Amino acid sequence: MKVLLFVFFVAVAFGCSDSNSKSAFVGEVPKSAAAPVGTISSESIYQLPDTFETQDNKKIVLSSFAGKPTVVGMIFTHCPYACPRLTADIKGIEDKIKSKSEDVNYLLISFDSERDLPNQLKKFSNDHALDENWTLLHGDENTIRILSVLLNVQFQKDAEGNFSHSNIISVLDKNGVLVFQKEGIDADPAETISAIKQLL
Amino acid sequence: MKYFLSILIATVFFCAANAQKKAVLSEKKMVTVSSGNYKPFFVTKNNRPIYVAAFKMDESAVTNAEFLQFVKANPQWRRSKVNRIFADTNYLRHWKSDVEIGESNKKIYNSPVVNVSWFAAEAYCKWKNKKLPTIAQWELAANGAPKNFKYKSLTDFILDWYTKPNPRILPNVKSTYQNQYGLYDMNGLIWEWTFNFNSFIASRDSRDKSEADFKNFCAGGAINVVDKTDYATYLRFGYRASLKGNYCISSLGFRCVKDLK
Repeated sequence: MKVLLFVFFVAVAFGCSDSNSKSAFVGEVPKSAAAPVGTISSESIYQLPDTFETQDNKKIVLSSFAGKPTVVGMIFTHCPYACPRLTADIKGIEDKIKSKSEDVNYLLISFDSERDLPNQLKKFSNDHALDENWTLLHGDENTIRILSVLLNVQFQKDAEGNFSHSNIISVLDKNGVLVFQKEGIDADPAETISAIKQLL
Repeated sequence: MKYFLSILIATVFFCAANAQKKAVLSEKKMVTVSSGNYKPFFVTKNNRPIYVAAFKMDESAVTNAEFLQFVKANPQWRRSKVNRIFADTNYLRHWKSDVEIGESNKKIYNSPVVNVSWFAAEAYCKWKNKKLPTIAQWELAANGAPKNFKYKSLTDFILDWYTKPNPRILPNVKSTYQNQYGLYDMNGLIWEWTFNFNSFIASRDSRDKSEADFKNFCAGGAINVVDKTDYATYLRFGYRASLKGNYCISSLGFRCVKDLK
């Protein structure tokens, strides 16, 4: 009898909590950008808990870049004009701080969740002779949109599957806090370089 | 034995009480918006009408009472706990406290929640197993023909609304008009967040920084819009372009959508 009642109690309790708090549970598991993680600074972009894939097909979260300043650009590899230029601009910045370049992460994040899979990113990386300080990231559409909002980058997919987007180079400090942004291709890199040097 | 029984009884009661509480805020009704082609408002070389598959949309904006449930279940979204990167200092400023809308605010329990950021809106929809509508989805839905309308056109109605100051007490949801899909208040009550509000809208001079963007958009964007007389839509796109993800504004709320299974 006791056993039966106990079983009944458990069933009721579980049945109840399941139907009433399922959504609460989903809310507590940080699936979205919106949940603070660990002890990361409240201003840090590294709070984004979502997983990306690198050009070497490794799964990675943004907080893995903590510890060094990080230079970030958002691009897509089928981009005929602006993205190679933006990449070249960031390479130019790397060259100018060359003695310390291994102390900085260079990050390119693709808008193109559909086509820019790790092997395509690897190809782009090879074509542009990007060294080991560079990481190229693929993420799902939702994650990329959230990241674009965090980085104030506007973008839109067009009918051909290409993207119109703003060209912004962002500098994050070693905790992932956005400290400097420069908009435009072929922009004067002096300010960006001094922003990075202040973090070294 | 008695002990077990009392727990059992308490549990059953708790369930019943909870169920009742839930019943007060029953699941929000969603209506189907049929598929259609959305013509992007800004015409460029590469944007053609976008096919939008049929989807379900909340029939009205998310209310204060509904948002309170989310905040209670997700402490990281309480006013005192939220990170500034996700919501500015205006976040839920019209509420009495972290988890109280306030007795004196009774009239707005069923009004659209405002002063919520894009990140908060996105997290709410995710919590409900829904999503924020894309611009194409929202515009297609809002284009639905109004029912029993006394205005000459939707544009006239919207422009009339734009000229009025925000009411001191925001009216309840379903207090304006309903459209052909069964959606309430797509215009006339609040502005609403869209998932891709930060879409790129006009080619800009690369030397410009963000403050100049808006000016540039005003000057350059008008040339290539679908319908130059649709000033209402023009203002809506300008408004979206001026937002950032952590902005919390007293006239800006949201509703969620879901794919049709």
